[in-house]
Amino acid sequence: MTRIEVAGLVKIYETPGEALRVLDGLDFDVAAGEAVAIVGPSGSGKTTLLNLLGALDRPSSGSIRIGGEDIGGLTAAAAAGFRNRSLGFVFQQHHLLPQLSVLENVLVPRLAGNWQEPAAATESRARELLDKVGLNHRLSHLPWQLSGGEKLRTGVARALLNRPRLLLADEPTGLLDQAATDQVADLLLQLNRDEAVTLIVVTHNAALARRIGRTFELAQGKLKEVAR
Amino acid sequence: MSGLSFTLRGLWYFRASYLGVLAGAALGAMVLLGAMMAGDSVNQTLRQVATARLGKVDAVLAGGDRFFRSALADDLTTKNAAATVAPVFIVKASVTAQRSGRALGNVQVVGVDGRFWHLGPSGTLHEDSADGIDAPQERKFFVNECLARSLDLLTNGNLISNQTLVLRFDKPGMIARDAPLAGKAAEVIALSGNVDRVCDDAQFGRFSLETTQMPQATVFVPLERLQQALGLAGKANLLLLKAHQGESHAQMLEKITHSCTLADYGLTVEEVPLANAVEIRSSRIFFDRKVAEAIQQHFPAAQPVVTYMANSIASNGKSIPYSMVTAVDTTAAPFLPDDKKNGVVLNAWAADDLAAKPGDELSLTYYALDGANRLVERSSRLMLAAVVPLTGLAADPRWMPDFPGVASAEKTADWDAGVPIDMKRIRDKDEAYWNAHRGTPKLFIPLKTGRELFANRWGEFTALRLPAAVASKDRVTTGLLEALDPAVAGLTLQDVGAQAGAAAGSPVEFAGLLIGMSLFLIAAAVALTAMLFRFHIEQRNRESGLLAALGVAPGKILRWRLLEGLCVVALGSGIGTLLAVGYTRLLLGILETIWGGAGGQRWLHFHVEANTLVGGLTGFVCLMILVIWLVTRKQARQSASMRLEAGNEEVTRPNPQRVPWWALGYAAGGIAALGGSGLLGEAGGFFLGGCLFLSAGLGVYQWVLRRRVAAAMVRELTPQRLAELNCARRGTRSLVVVGSLASGVFLVVAVAAFHKHDGDAWQQRESGAGGFAWWVETTRAMTRGNTHPEADDVLDLGDARGRFGRVLPLRIGPGDDASCFNLNSVIRPRLLATDVAVLANLGAFPIKKVLPGCAKSWDCLRGGRALRAFVDETTLLWVLKKNLGDLLIYHDEWGHEFPVELAGMLDGTVFQGSLVVDEVGLLQHYPSADGPRLFLLENAAGSAVPDRADLQRALADEGATVTSTRDRLAAFNSVENTYLAIFHLLGGLGVLVGSAGLGLLTARNLHARRYEFSILHTLGVPAAVTRRVVFGEAAQIIRWGLGIGVLAALVAILPNLSGGSITQSLGWIALLVALIAANAFGWAWLGYRRQLRHTLGATQEPTPQ
Repeated sequence: MTRIEVAGLVKIYETPGEALRVLDGLDFDVAAGEAVAIVGPSGSGKTTLLNLLGALDRPSSGSIRIGGEDIGGLTAAAAAGFRNRSLGFVFQQHHLLPQLSVLENVLVPRLAGNWQEPAAATESRARELLDKVGLNHRLSHLPWQLSGGEKLRTGVARALLNRPRLLLADEPTGLLDQAATDQVADLLLQLNRDEAVTLIVVTHNAALARRIGRTFELAQGKLKEVAR
Repeated sequence: MSGLSFTLRGLWYFRASYLGVLAGAALGAMVLLGAMMAGDSVNQTLRQVATARLGKVDAVLAGGDRFFRSALADDLTTKNAAATVAPVFIVKASVTAQRSGRALGNVQVVGVDGRFWHLGPSGTLHEDSADGIDAPQERKFFVNECLARSLDLLTNGNLISNQTLVLRFDKPGMIARDAPLAGKAAEVIALSGNVDRVCDDAQFGRFSLETTQMPQATVFVPLERLQQALGLAGKANLLLLKAHQGESHAQMLEKITHSCTLADYGLTVEEVPLANAVEIRSSRIFFDRKVAEAIQQHFPAAQPVVTYMANSIASNGKSIPYSMVTAVDTTAAPFLPDDKKNGVVLNAWAADDLAAKPGDELSLTYYALDGANRLVERSSRLMLAAVVPLTGLAADPRWMPDFPGVASAEKTADWDAGVPIDMKRIRDKDEAYWNAHRGTPKLFIPLKTGRELFANRWGEFTALRLPAAVASKDRVTTGLLEALDPAVAGLTLQDVGAQAGAAAGSPVEFAGLLIGMSLFLIAAAVALTAMLFRFHIEQRNRESGLLAALGVAPGKILRWRLLEGLCVVALGSGIGTLLAVGYTRLLLGILETIWGGAGGQRWLHFHVEANTLVGGLTGFVCLMILVIWLVTRKQARQSASMRLEAGNEEVTRPNPQRVPWWALGYAAGGIAALGGSGLLGEAGGFFLGGCLFLSAGLGVYQWVLRRRVAAAMVRELTPQRLAELNCARRGTRSLVVVGSLASGVFLVVAVAAFHKHDGDAWQQRESGAGGFAWWVETTRAMTRGNTHPEADDVLDLGDARGRFGRVLPLRIGPGDDASCFNLNSVIRPRLLATDVAVLANLGAFPIKKVLPGCAKSWDCLRGGRALRAFVDETTLLWVLKKNLGDLLIYHDEWGHEFPVELAGMLDGTVFQGSLVVDEVGLLQHYPSADGPRLFLLENAAGSAVPDRADLQRALADEGATVTSTRDRLAAFNSVENTYLAIFHLLGGLGVLVGSAGLGLLTARNLHARRYEFSILHTLGVPAAVTRRVVFGEAAQIIRWGLGIGVLAALVAILPNLSGGSITQSLGWIALLVALIAANAFGWAWLGYRRQLRHTLGATQEPTPQ
């Protein structure tokens, strides 16, 4: 279980002629196993925040501690190792590799090279995950043969392969219809409950945010918790 | 799934996307390896030619105009001095085929016996024939293929039977024909025989000592028959040797030295009873200075004697014609009064005739050579000291050496002394003296005076005498053999095998030249390939971002990408290697148009060395991977989030504020490179300068792109503006395409400007022809005796003389043809010697540059410590690769080294391939040099212009080859223009690559932006506006590419252009630029057409791949 502690988080983008302050001194904590939704208008920095929490980007200042580890100061390689060990990502645009089958796409995290589990055990887990997300009949299909919901569920299965302590989802239902949205929301919340995975979901979907529970709103670089 | 299988899966999945990279790598590898293979092929062919030329011959003992015993070969064989030795007699002849009447000058006539063919490439003459004949017999000749073709002796490749050849050649003298008292001026010998066999290369038909790939027309005749015809029975002027395994040159020379006899050194030893002495004589009449020095060093008691013919001895108003005068010291002529050291002594007969008595003044006239090698009569005043009776040693006719044409004459009327003799002056009493006393000297003068008067470039002494008390004849003979060696006697042992190997062994040079020519094309191909690879990487940005998000380290992602790149590049390079075989053959075909083959056959054979293949391929793949790494590493450094966001866009952050100082630095560097072409060489300066100017142009373009991005926020958006922004948005792609186009354009334009134009400028003194109309090379050396008395008319033109103006004779010294017609690497170009004062007075030929401190005139050649030479620019830069002031080392007549200083550079003259030196300077090093065999002729002013056939007919007896100077210059220009054509071809390919890059760029951009265009379409923006945007981008890239390329080319070639050539080239350049622009637009249009349907059909944002 992973606790997230964010203190004085600032992110500035340098552009020709000006510096864009996207995140302006955020302070918040997320308890281990908690599910959190982050909402806010487009361009408010939600994805930036998620990238920082996922060690995909570096803060301009401030600190992010995940499970007690300060991820802001990690080198690129160390950050990659951290992500591979501890994090799971679910993307709106799923980012499946077109050259790989569904099963292989789920197994991609293993390519990082420092995977501890034997190959057969990992593959068995991948099959279990795909079974869990309802795709056991699509194992050898290529991404272009899947529907939007199926692609997203494949992405979810991939995010869970490494038994992450923290699952980060960026607009996971943004391209889905209502039925598929509900299906994905059920899946994420079930994982949060059953596996005690800390879940942070960036979304525009108010219904989804309500289902998740604790919600933060990001606007003009500031984060505030939305009272329920 | 491992990293490797993941990579291979990616390779296969994106195979279509990788096709461009594959094609680029194939093109680059093809061009690079093709150039290297062409280099290998040329050099291997040259090595094969060298083997065919020299067979198994490792060394030759060359006598030049000296002759040694052909039995020396037997002695060497007996003493096991070499594995095989063959005596050979070589002369130059003109040859006529009786049946066809066709004639050929400058044919090599080689007198051989069976041993010659043991040294051939196959070691035998009749490997595939049953006749068993191992040498031409009696009245039979063998010829080589070159001669057979030239004289039409073949039909369908077979020898036509009963073909009779008539060979005409000069009988060589024992002393140079130029020398005074050298005897008969010229004696032409005719030798006829039937052609019995045509020897191919394997049968040593290509035998030649000249370092050239061109076969030399050759007739092989029986050695004995040639010796008899020449009157030199048992003599040879060349020994061919094959060394024992592991035997060094020095060891071989030592064995030769031990085998040589005095006959090989041209010396005889005889007793002189009246002098009680032993006399050493030289068959060359005058002792070579080095021989005399060696003898005097070994025998300090040797007493020199000089006997010479005086035209007259006069005193008291009386004169005695044509008398021998001997200069000798009193030690050798005790009858001379030793108390009157500076006086001269007449014999009693002469004193009576002149009524002279001691104290009278004598006037002595005699012939000598002036600085321009003209025979002039000189006179000297001497004081009569004593009169000696005509008895004893004073009456010994042996004082006179065996002057050819004089010594053996029965009567004075038979004299053929080689100098003008007025027979009317010879009186009866003179005839009686000759009958009674032969060449007994009438006047004895001190040795010192004799040396001053009669010494010439052939030597000072006509005999050396040793008192019998000091040494017997046998001791003298033994001592001479100890004192002399072949080199001192002018017999040089040449390591021809090593020389031929060195001349043919310059693979780097030829391959380097072609690689240099291909450099821009290779660079364009590499840049385009790298750009396409980067396209591909950008296309997979999200994949990389995802992998990074899932914890794959950035380094590992980069390695996978590089592995994919390596696979594609390796495959492409493999394909390129296969294509290179065909490309090499094309290059060889083009090269063959320059040098031609015997009978139009292909003679440059394809060959590739394993080292070249492996090294070239590995080097190219490494280069490609390095470039791919350079262009992708920046992308790989971007954060995963940015790559996930960027999609297939270029991830860059423009910085418009940076002023491109470095571009200005490149431009300054370019100017410095052009200015420093003296240091870098003109070609080096041009290429480096060009590269730097191109880089400067690209730097400015990059800066402009960045400025545009910044300016985008403040300017109105128009289709044109959108096009500009689009170019800036993908700055690297635009830059690469502009760079590729600019490189190709640079090469094409620069090469067009260098194109040589033939014209009528040859008539001008300052032109490359120097105002001379004809270049004539004769088979026979021409000497005074052949000719009219006028010094400038050494050619026997007969009635045709009046149709020609000035005749400039040139002696041909040692060295090889270093013109662009010779593919071999020539270290010592042929020396051409003339009276440079004539050229200086005429102001003939363009002198481009001379050594600092020298006047820009031919007179410059008469100064300096070393022998100075002018050399044509092409030879200096491309063949010798030297600078002015450099020294070339030649070997003089005795095999000793001497330097020739490159003192000046001529600009595009008929002298290409040779060094022009002053005649006086040349003769100091080669006193035995033949008379002139090369002549430049003017047409006579005001008379009908003679044609080549007229001149050829007039000089038929001389075996002359006549070329108009205009044709000669045009031939040189055609070689340079062929090189330029290769440059053009490669530059054109570079333009095509750049244009294809533009097409690909257009297609890729449209593909990547199909959603963007689709939106425009949906928003009701007409297709015409979209087209304007697309072609606006292409037009901008073409404008910049052409602009940078043309500008860089013009600046780079500026220092090398004369006003005339640029004017002539401008039209051609303008046409080329227009064609290039049209071609580039065509490719852009193709790219547009290819993507149009997909683009306008797209309705949603492209999904990430």
